[in-house]
Amino acid sequence: MGRSWLRDYIIKRLLYSVIIACGILTITFVLVRVGPSSPADKYLANIAARGQDVSQVIAAIEARYGVDKPIFQQYADYMGNLFRGNWGWSFSTSMPVIELIKTHWIYSFQLILLSSLFAAFLGVLIGIYSAVKQYTKVDYAFTFFSFIGISIPNFWLGIMLILVFSVRLGLFKTYYDTTLPLFSLDNLKALVLPVITLGTGMLAGYVRYTRSAMLDNLRKAFVTTARAKGLPERTVIGKHVFRNALLPLVTIIMFDLGSIVFGGAYLTEIIFGIPGLGQISFNAIFANDYPVVVAVTIIGTFIVLLVNLVTDVTYTYLDPRIRYD
Amino acid sequence: MDNIILKVSSLKTYFFTRRGIVKAVDGVNFELRRGECLCLVGESGCGKTVTALSILRLFDSPPGKIVDGQISYDSLDLAECSSKQLRQIRGKDIAIVFQEAQSALNPVLTIGDQIIEQIKLHLPLDHGKARDRAMTLLNEMGIPSAEGVMSYYPHQLSGGMKQRVLIAMSLSCNPQILIADEPTTAVDVTIKAQILDIFRELKARRQMSTIFITHDLAVVAEIGDRAVVMYGGKDVETAPVSEIISNPKHPYTSGLIECLPDVSKTADRLASIPGTTPNPLEMPQGCAFHPRCPKATKICRQQEPSEIIISKEHKVSCHLYT
Amino acid sequence: MTERLRDIVRRTSQHLRSNARLINYYWQRTQRNKLAVFGLAFIIFLVLLAAIGPFFTLDPTAVNFEEKNMPPVGFTIEQSVYNIETDEFTTKEIPGTWKHPLGTDSKGRDMLAMIVSGARVSLQVGLIATGIAIILGTIIGVMSAYLGGWADNALMRFTDVMMTFPFFLLLVLIVFIFGPSLVFIVLAIGLTGWTGTARLIRSEALSLRTREFVIAAKALGASDNRVIFRHLIPNVISLIIIIATLSIPGVILAEAALSFIGLGDPTVSSWGIILEAGQTSLNTAWWVAVEPGIMLFLTVLAFNFLGDGLRDAFDPKSNM
Repeated sequence: MGRSWLRDYIIKRLLYSVIIACGILTITFVLVRVGPSSPADKYLANIAARGQDVSQVIAAIEARYGVDKPIFQQYADYMGNLFRGNWGWSFSTSMPVIELIKTHWIYSFQLILLSSLFAAFLGVLIGIYSAVKQYTKVDYAFTFFSFIGISIPNFWLGIMLILVFSVRLGLFKTYYDTTLPLFSLDNLKALVLPVITLGTGMLAGYVRYTRSAMLDNLRKAFVTTARAKGLPERTVIGKHVFRNALLPLVTIIMFDLGSIVFGGAYLTEIIFGIPGLGQISFNAIFANDYPVVVAVTIIGTFIVLLVNLVTDVTYTYLDPRIRYD
Repeated sequence: MDNIILKVSSLKTYFFTRRGIVKAVDGVNFELRRGECLCLVGESGCGKTVTALSILRLFDSPPGKIVDGQISYDSLDLAECSSKQLRQIRGKDIAIVFQEAQSALNPVLTIGDQIIEQIKLHLPLDHGKARDRAMTLLNEMGIPSAEGVMSYYPHQLSGGMKQRVLIAMSLSCNPQILIADEPTTAVDVTIKAQILDIFRELKARRQMSTIFITHDLAVVAEIGDRAVVMYGGKDVETAPVSEIISNPKHPYTSGLIECLPDVSKTADRLASIPGTTPNPLEMPQGCAFHPRCPKATKICRQQEPSEIIISKEHKVSCHLYT
Repeated sequence: MTERLRDIVRRTSQHLRSNARLINYYWQRTQRNKLAVFGLAFIIFLVLLAAIGPFFTLDPTAVNFEEKNMPPVGFTIEQSVYNIETDEFTTKEIPGTWKHPLGTDSKGRDMLAMIVSGARVSLQVGLIATGIAIILGTIIGVMSAYLGGWADNALMRFTDVMMTFPFFLLLVLIVFIFGPSLVFIVLAIGLTGWTGTARLIRSEALSLRTREFVIAAKALGASDNRVIFRHLIPNVISLIIIIATLSIPGVILAEAALSFIGLGDPTVSSWGIILEAGQTSLNTAWWVAVEPGIMLFLTVLAFNFLGDGLRDAFDPKSNM
């Protein structure tokens, strides 16, 4: 069986992703233009304060933002600009949006990465254990805790953690220190509470998914066959059952990334003052700096798109039943 | 008597579920002799599969438990021995082949992986030699192009091929005993014939001692040496196959034989045993078969029958013969 | 128009009555899950609280600086009070009183009253927004499955695009553009949260068409209408109920999160808004942050327990 099949699939999937990407950008464009306030309105407050002639300024702004051009022209410009990397100007921070993104993305990245690793690693292990020990007290306890984990509002959890560990116990600082070098132990320490905040919800979810995927497979016939061969139990569970559980698990985990992680990361950054993309979007909202907000939304969406693509291809590659169809 | 390679005595395997205790195996006795093919016969639900699983303690252990009895093999009691000892026997001394070949193989591992895994577990062979051995086995089972099949996944094979792979896998470490759980049930007639051929050959060439589980008396007649008829978790009649067919003593056995359709005669209806298999949670009082037995008497409703010896090779558990 | 509506209501109640045994069966199964029962009990308590609570509590908007930052009953807190005359700070111990059983916030508003009115807001938002999302999702899902072909393709691509947007980011964007009024927030949540429902309903509808019991019913001579009403709809309804129960907590949290970061409707005192205020006074009045959070947590937990229990009850394969 040649690999060209896989290559074709990847190409097909990529094209599809491009279509979706265009759809995303179009919807974003529509939203912004359909909104009640034009970019000019949002600037009016500032202008009035500076005492300039309002109507002239409005005209100038509209010309600058191209709002006076026909809608299709705007759309074409919009798409063109995006692809060329001209994502607008952030007037609240006085730099091109793309620069803003470049300096801040790393903070979001490290937060999300650490939280995901923490949640995935721990979650899968607990899930496997819970499934193998189904109906025992340990299983009930873990299941109960995972319910709690997915029900706790993560922004509240963040505040509570700050209350207990920073304010009352003084173990951590209340605000993230941006002067710390990224690869230092101090930085890691500063990230403990944020990672717990963001990771808990994810962790609970992973425990549930893993447990459910494992349970689906634990009673299957091939498991008895594996035992009948004389294999030690840990090989039966770890190699035979887990590999079967892994496939749907990977899919669920990756697809869930979009809905939970980015929302949670946004809130976590705000609570702890981590200067990632969520934080700058938040600041931009209150400064009426809409290009930044739009840009962050688009980036988040594109990352989800990318992750979906990678997951899809990986899953197709890994599942032998699909491979050799 | 050192002809006996496995002896099951008073085996009781119960399942402790939330809805009650399921007495799947409730006092089963039989012995397997070297080189013979012993058939466990009975309807679905009579406990034959659980008996087979009990020999290697392969049933799900939180609900299931061997509450009584002994399984004697090679100076060990398999009902009591440690997990470690059990694991050394599984797949090496005693091997088992399951019926649903579709789901008995791991769908995400190649055939080769799965066979070699077992070989390397029990035999001191390196990967290359293990691979060769696996391919030889596949060939022996009549699987063409064994080399290619080694890298196939289960879903790429037909039902009959999968069953052969399973049998090959079970033979990979030269077991003394092979337990086959309804290997011909889930396959169509042509495959069935082929599989029966394989078992016949196994007996002839390797002198394999086999426990063959089936509900089909016709199969028993074809390849069995002796048969143990099971009902309601107990063994009700044990005899050589020829005896069982020509001279059945237990009403259930006679019923089973009558159910075999005879193509040479015309009939309006196929014969069947009236009633249904008893609910394992609510077994009837006395003899488990009495509600369906045409010859039931008062004592059958009250007392469980004990084992009667009809002849040297023929035993029955029925009040008719006390 | 009302004729048709009356007809539908009559048909549905007739339906429910004839399926009373089925409903009872599912209810029995749900009952066995103690957590689900607790969830349901809490939700009923919450609904009662939201409905009649405001009649029994103080006015949540009554500002009273004399009584600001009082702790809940049973707690005592030290407050530094600045005395103009003596020009110094004295620390007084302020105990909680039964007049304000849950304490007061920095403006002296009664916490209990605010929590109760917050319950009303959260439940309203939860129900309405979920309602919008589910209706939209069901319509799109059913249409897609029914129309098939080109329309199905287009609708599903559109659903794919909408699904790719991270829910919260999209929500923030919409509220930012259109303004943080409660109406818009509810609409925004409803209009962005339908995608999961659409997918599930569509796949269920598609599979139902070819399921054996439908083919069997048709083989026995059932008309299309009968097939739809007696066979398809009951199966979809149970799915919708489960989806609804499991979506409400997400919606409530979304509104709370928006309020928390300041994008909520400031004229309304939802739990999220209270939490936002509480964030700044963690040191002086920790209860302002803790109480709404606990309510949010318990509410979400209750819905999750119930939804999970319902899902198990409706699944024919789970042995209960």
